[in-house]
Amino acid sequence: MAAVSSRAERVWHPIAIVLIIIATLISLAPILWIASTAFKPRAVATSVPPTVIFQPETTAFVKLFTKRVQLKEQPTKEVYDAAPWWEQRIYDGGERVLRVRGNVQLSQYPNRFINSLIVATISTVLAVGMGTFTAYGFSRFRIGGQDDLLFFILSTRMLPPIVVAIPMFLMYRTFGLTDTHIGLIILYTAFNLSFAVWLMKGFMDEIPKEYEEAALVDGYTRMQAFFKIVLPQATTGIAATAVFSFITAWNEYAFALILTNRRAQTAPPFIPSQIGSGIVDWTAIAAGTFLFLLPVAIFTFLLRNHLLRGVTFGAIRK
Amino acid sequence: MTVIATLDPQSKAAARGWSDLTIRNAFILPTLAFLIIFNIFPLIYSLGLSFTEFRASLQKPPEFVGLQNYRELLNDPGIWDNFRITALYVIVSVGGQMLVGFGLALLLNRKFPLKGLVTTLLLLPMMLSPAVVGLFWKLLYDPSWGPINYALGLGKFEWLSHPTNALFATALTDIWMWSPFVMLLSLAGLSAVPKHLYEAAEIDRAGSWYTFTRITLPLVMPLLMIALIFRTMEAFKTFDLPFVMSTASVETVAIRLYQMAFQSWDTGMSSALAYIVLIVVLAITNIYVKYLNKAKER
Amino acid sequence: MKTKLTGLLAGTAMFALSATSAMAEDLVIFWAEWDPANYLQELVNDYTEETGVSVTVETTPWPDFQTKTFAELNARGDAYDMVVGDSQWLGAASTGGHYVDLTEWYAQHGVKDIMTPATVTYYAEYPKGSGTYWSVPLEGDANGWAYRKDWFEDPAEMAAFKEKYGYDLGVPKDFNQLIDIAEFFHRPDDNRYGVALYTQTAYDAMAMGVEQTIFTWGGDLGDYATNQVDGILNSPQNVEALEAYRKLYTFTPPNWTQAFFLENNQAFTEGLVALNMNYFAFFPALANSAINPHAANTGYFANPPGPNGDHHAALGGQGVSIIEYSRNKDEAFKFLEWFIRDDVQKKWAELGGYTAHAGTLSSPEFLNATPYNKAFAESMEIVKDFWANPQFADMLFQMNDRLHPYITTGEGSAKESLDALAEDWNKTLGNN
Repeated sequence: MAAVSSRAERVWHPIAIVLIIIATLISLAPILWIASTAFKPRAVATSVPPTVIFQPETTAFVKLFTKRVQLKEQPTKEVYDAAPWWEQRIYDGGERVLRVRGNVQLSQYPNRFINSLIVATISTVLAVGMGTFTAYGFSRFRIGGQDDLLFFILSTRMLPPIVVAIPMFLMYRTFGLTDTHIGLIILYTAFNLSFAVWLMKGFMDEIPKEYEEAALVDGYTRMQAFFKIVLPQATTGIAATAVFSFITAWNEYAFALILTNRRAQTAPPFIPSQIGSGIVDWTAIAAGTFLFLLPVAIFTFLLRNHLLRGVTFGAIRK
Repeated sequence: MTVIATLDPQSKAAARGWSDLTIRNAFILPTLAFLIIFNIFPLIYSLGLSFTEFRASLQKPPEFVGLQNYRELLNDPGIWDNFRITALYVIVSVGGQMLVGFGLALLLNRKFPLKGLVTTLLLLPMMLSPAVVGLFWKLLYDPSWGPINYALGLGKFEWLSHPTNALFATALTDIWMWSPFVMLLSLAGLSAVPKHLYEAAEIDRAGSWYTFTRITLPLVMPLLMIALIFRTMEAFKTFDLPFVMSTASVETVAIRLYQMAFQSWDTGMSSALAYIVLIVVLAITNIYVKYLNKAKER
Repeated sequence: MKTKLTGLLAGTAMFALSATSAMAEDLVIFWAEWDPANYLQELVNDYTEETGVSVTVETTPWPDFQTKTFAELNARGDAYDMVVGDSQWLGAASTGGHYVDLTEWYAQHGVKDIMTPATVTYYAEYPKGSGTYWSVPLEGDANGWAYRKDWFEDPAEMAAFKEKYGYDLGVPKDFNQLIDIAEFFHRPDDNRYGVALYTQTAYDAMAMGVEQTIFTWGGDLGDYATNQVDGILNSPQNVEALEAYRKLYTFTPPNWTQAFFLENNQAFTEGLVALNMNYFAFFPALANSAINPHAANTGYFANPPGPNGDHHAALGGQGVSIIEYSRNKDEAFKFLEWFIRDDVQKKWAELGGYTAHAGTLSSPEFLNATPYNKAFAESMEIVKDFWANPQFADMLFQMNDRLHPYITTGEGSAKESLDALAEDWNKTLGNN
């Protein structure tokens, strides 16, 4: 923008660029360190001085997806040679892959990852769906005490989650919702709904109501006008809201820790639990972390324009 | 807030299909009902529990004890320590985020190649899971085998060892994660400053400090306040990051609450503590909102 | 786009449904994340081969094992059919109605004749002496030590040690020698430290290290039968023991305020420390040369006796209990019957599990199976445990709160810390 094109700015500009580069590097370094550790051989993962250049390998991912046990004695040469390459890597690391009836036993990681996908996806669809309808309602109809209601909806977002964790736990126990997908989906929908209403209302207000009125004159019903005229106009808002809701649900930790155990547990409380049995295996943790962060990183990147708009929009509206 | 002209419910067109009233109710009531059941009801429930002696781990029903839980909590020096730790954590992390975030925004508020890409890359940390990333920061901070001390030449500096160090170290990670948020809001504010104001200042030969304090800052202030409110609220309830990173040795209120509720199973007492937290958060938010309104008026 | 989304949703919903129904007849055992849990998974795979019933061992890290288990039990959840629970939990889990009473089943299958009596008392009986049993001893364990043989046997070190302390460097004969050795090898400038200790406060890590030292000084944590704490917990020998633990702490590597087995083992494999306190079940990683570069130079010993000859080790290990809310209790009983079979117990020991099976434990194959099994067998003779009453969790927290600051910073005194802890415990136990 360079609003002030003074002499000071001309001196300042190159310094600013250098600072931006430094800030970006600092900001990315931890993430790059995680990613690189996922591909490191275990022996150099915690070496001093830290290893930056190494032969990348995928052993950590094999570990992440399999159940293993420590070797007590080395495998015979025949056994070793007959094993597929990835199993050989596990042997090299002093471990062996567990098998039941000849089948490799998988770790819980894929299961937890899929749980995260199920819970985050469905709760996002619900929150954004309900939020869009409600936002339209607030945007287009006269409602008694509208501002109070909107504030009420927003205020439910301000509660520290841990405050409602205790009654939630008791309610879920009564209704048998602990450790179920539905339980988490409801919870995350409730988290995101207030936010979705508030964000979507901002976008709805931006859509000129003249479009709908024209459609009504053309013989559309109000519902048809909503689906055919308003919704297509609101896609940017829906996308931004969806991404934020998804990220919130995808990253949530405290409730998943308390309310889920095995069937519905999501990845965030699970990944820290895979720190290895006798000693920390940082490469496997890094692999689990890397895969878990990947969808969000890709999302952020693909939808960056929506995101920028979504955040600022919501904030200005408030 | 913008005033929205509402559609005319009396119009003939609107009378086809569902009536507007039906649509309005169908669009709004489910959401309200949902929020009441899953947000408001639990609040009332735990308010009730906070006046009882109750352990969810035992079969005994709750027993009404009046204000005893609150009295005990407020007389417990440990709780005050938790609040002090939390306050310090909030001040350090939110203060840091405001400085770094606003600074970054000032830097980014210019034309340069790959601006969109750089902004997105800078946003990445706030999109990640604190619990998962926090775990990894433990490795980064380790004095014996972590890369940070090596890179900065800090020798055996113990980031996470002493609770005070651990608090600052955790806050530093929090700053890393959330400065982008402040940056984003500040950027929005900066880009909304009308150009002609700067041009006018230029003509008046105003110094850059004068321009900054008299034009930029006041106009960005409302958005900075919003960022401040959000980050304070979030930092106040932080649980994941200190829980994962310091193995709960940085005992913030949220961690204390978790321990009381789900490790000691002192359900009644922890409900009371939850309420105290809620009141504090509301009070802080209120103060901020007052300042926000003042900032907007100016 | 829309159809794709609907398809995706339908797919995930189907998956969620099928995932729940497929689990119906399986057994799930909950345990902590460590090598024995992997051995158990391997063992129970045999059960699957035999019966077709799949058995999964689910794990969670040690620091939140207790929290996760009790959250599940108090939620009356049926996610797990059995839990391999800590000995301290017996009181809380049995009085809370979470464990199935196994007393009758014990009598039917003569369990008391199969398992060593001490393990039955420690891992299964509550209240002690009542003859009521809640679990089957599954993994015996005790706290022991690993050391760097090559450092101990280095002639230059040996001479220097003799010069300084007046006796030969070797496996410590009493706890004070252990402190001397830690002090001797503590050379921060050379990036070498004396000892890796338990200090973590998330669960019972620090408590186990401290109680072991207290027992070694001839002290106790209280009278478990009468709940008396005063004069026992804050006795002069306990004060000395706590001071000894504090002294030992000053010889730990940097950043040692929240250390448990992972940190201890990592410090040891990185070649940072001479001595490593750990439960025996965490030692397989140290004997594995792919993980521990010093595996060949690693020795093991049981906790040495105290100044007055008291010889004790902190009890670890767990028994397996059936959870009251399980939907597969009958299947779980069948599994336990299989588990106590002689051949299964023998296999369990071969895989690396620390069986409590009397016949297997005393066999020479077992004693020579690993470099640390002898020290283990010796330790199991001298184990003592923490409180196992329903209030144990609160008491652990209080112990962490009161003793951790003194141990890690030296602020206050051992006496003050123990007095304060005694006061807390009196309150929790309802003593006035």
